[in-house]
Amino acid sequence: MSAQNLTTVFAVALVGALICVIPALTAPTLQFGVRVPPDRLRAPVLLAERRRYFWRTGVIGVCLTAAALSVPAGSRWLTVLLVVSQLAAGLGCYFVARERVLAVKTAQDWFGGLTQTVGADTTWRTEPERFPVLWLVPALAIIVVTAAVGIARYPGLPQRLPVHFSAGGVVDRYADKSVWAAFTLVAVQIFVTAMMTGLLVLTYRSRPEVDAADVAGSTRRYGRFLFAMSRAVLATAALVDLSLLLVSLQIWQVYRLMDATVALAALPPALGVFVLVVVSVRMGQAGTRLAGPAPAGETSSKVTNQDDDRYWKGGLIYVNRDDPAIMVARRFGVGWTLNFGNPRAWVAFAVVIVAVVALVVARRR
Amino acid sequence: VVEPDAPVPIYQQIRDRIIEAIARGEQPVGSALPSTRQLAIDLGINFHTVNKAYDTLRQEGLVRLSRKSGAVIARDGTTGPASDVFAEEWGRRLDTLLAEAIAQGMRADQIVEATRSGVARYPNHYGNEGHRS
Repeated sequence: MSAQNLTTVFAVALVGALICVIPALTAPTLQFGVRVPPDRLRAPVLLAERRRYFWRTGVIGVCLTAAALSVPAGSRWLTVLLVVSQLAAGLGCYFVARERVLAVKTAQDWFGGLTQTVGADTTWRTEPERFPVLWLVPALAIIVVTAAVGIARYPGLPQRLPVHFSAGGVVDRYADKSVWAAFTLVAVQIFVTAMMTGLLVLTYRSRPEVDAADVAGSTRRYGRFLFAMSRAVLATAALVDLSLLLVSLQIWQVYRLMDATVALAALPPALGVFVLVVVSVRMGQAGTRLAGPAPAGETSSKVTNQDDDRYWKGGLIYVNRDDPAIMVARRFGVGWTLNFGNPRAWVAFAVVIVAVVALVVARRR
Repeated sequence: VVEPDAPVPIYQQIRDRIIEAIARGEQPVGSALPSTRQLAIDLGINFHTVNKAYDTLRQEGLVRLSRKSGAVIARDGTTGPASDVFAEEWGRRLDTLLAEAIAQGMRADQIVEATRSGVARYPNHYGNEGHRS
């Protein structure tokens, strides 16, 4: 089995497992992107749909992993095809479960007679979590080192540069020598680091995901989640930059990797993904899996978060014109999503898309 | 905590919650409130709504707004006795509340008891033993 094949099997198995466990990582009050009041958490439809979703996605994951094991090595598109069909199948299972839960929620009027509230803990602003600037240092240091090595090697490079390597480590594309051809991956490093930093900064300015029944506790748990996740993201950015450094050293002919050692460059990002998965599973989306003291003071089971389903298209895309937040915690999955009702979010989205397209086009030239 | 679907307007709810926090001693005089933009993000509401709440509090003399330091609590129960203008205006609103209670059939001792236990919840009010000078 080749390194490429192993990567495919691993990626398909990991994505399958993650899709399978997402409902367990999200808050019990937000299942399949549907807001559930606290007194309905054990509704039969929820338990049944969670069980069905678990088995359906589990079987799909196992089948596609088996398919990945049985295909011959080499085709990069096959990996993409398998993972895309996996995501599509997972999305299908999600919508089936979601529609059933929504139907029961509407039929039984789950929010009838409940007091819907929006809570905010003002200590979030008076004693805010700070963006961990020091955690940017490794990523920036790697970029500087990469650029420095490149500048030192550039004058001595031949007129034709190897810019792409096959799974076996053989050069499969050359480019005429130019500053751009030599330094494309440094641009990618800068893009990756800047994008992750930018989105994290927006997240720090945004609000915590608050449970109306326990405003102070859920804010504290969200703070711990943001603390760990932002550091994990910045560490991942550094690891991706490191991987790009390893590939760049090949382009600059510092060394040439062959056969199994080709996978070396894939190891740092894999480690980053591992860290992100550990944080997600340990803490849950927005820290919902973290233990904390029972909420202080009186809590009524009649008090619930606002039923804000109408702002979530398909439970996945947030569109709320009255909400000044740019980033909000996503409902299904771990992490954040943009508020597409906010023009600033569209600007952020456009900047990322334009940068990606520009990099891809420039690389193909 | 605000209730977006309640009949009371949201800016009014924000004002009420902040006044309650001042009375409980959670927001003492000189303490800062979140900026209007921050509070609007935290509550997921239009920031003009928060502006309106803060402006109401400023007119009532409870909050000072400045470009530099944002919104700061300008007075609380320990600052000094209430002004006569406020006492008179508050008395009119209390009259309305009492009239509501009587029209709805609440007994006099019920009204007095509710008032007594309500005031007891705020131990730090002006003229009380707990008050800081």
